[in-house]
Amino acid sequence: MKRIEVKLSLSVVAPLLDLMKASSDVLEAQIAAPLALDDIDAEFRDDWKAELLAGQQEELHALMGLFNSDFFVNGVVAFDEDNAEVIVRACSALRLRLRRHDLKVLGDEQLESGAIELESLPEPLQKPYMCYVFLGTIQELIIQHLDGAILRGAAAEEGVEFEPSADDDGEFEDDADGEDGGDGGDDEKR
Amino acid sequence: MIRALATPTTAAAEPGLAAGPALAPAEVERSKTALATQGPWRVVVLNDPVNSMSYVVLVFRKVFGFSEPVARKHMLEVHEQGRSIVWSGLREQAELYAFALQQWHLTAILESDETH
Repeated sequence: MKRIEVKLSLSVVAPLLDLMKASSDVLEAQIAAPLALDDIDAEFRDDWKAELLAGQQEELHALMGLFNSDFFVNGVVAFDEDNAEVIVRACSALRLRLRRHDLKVLGDEQLESGAIELESLPEPLQKPYMCYVFLGTIQELIIQHLDGAILRGAAAEEGVEFEPSADDDGEFEDDADGEDGGDGGDDEKR
Repeated sequence: MIRALATPTTAAAEPGLAAGPALAPAEVERSKTALATQGPWRVVVLNDPVNSMSYVVLVFRKVFGFSEPVARKHMLEVHEQGRSIVWSGLREQAELYAFALQQWHLTAILESDETH
């Protein structure tokens, strides 16, 4: 099974987890993306929303579950064919929530450009924006390395190991990325 | 499981429902229902400033089975024009696709083809 492990800087990521958890808690009861289901009968619409919400809750539990006690020991999170899809979706849900709530003062073009200097933001926006970028980085990593698994479905197996790139520096990567915190030589670590 | 997911193509399996001038009242009512559910309907994805281009391409490939170039074309339409019609056809199937897109947190709406 194809699997990637990402070693994160605890000092950078740990402070973001409270905000992620708070946002995730809000999304226990509300759908992240706006819905326009006006021409659907009320009963069906309620079922529709309930089904979406149940799926969203499952995704968010999977994402937050990555940051367990093991994470606080070694700073590593792992993605594979079993969790890639739900984690990518959960990141999207949280980013939508952050954008609509914590980062609502930022313009769409400003946010889409990705050219925001963290230090230029007012202090209350810095953590939400860090969180927003972090989740986007996680998404891109998964899409880059596990898109095939997502397209085939979670149960498929590829049987190909990822060859790590020596010059690939992730924004949230720990300085000590040469250490082997994984459980075997087959796993990728960025 | 929502209705659309349970019976995605039942309307399409009944092509004769709308025909015939001498239908009994129950059949007329059934015909109206069939027409309403058969469409044509469009699934439209609206732009949002949050989901990345690569994410949207992935979702289109996953949900519709689009090739990468087709998925990218629709993604660029969403990005540049604010919306893209990604599918059209029977109502129940359109609901199924809209639901799938919303599971991926894209903003997807249904539009009647007759309104355009």
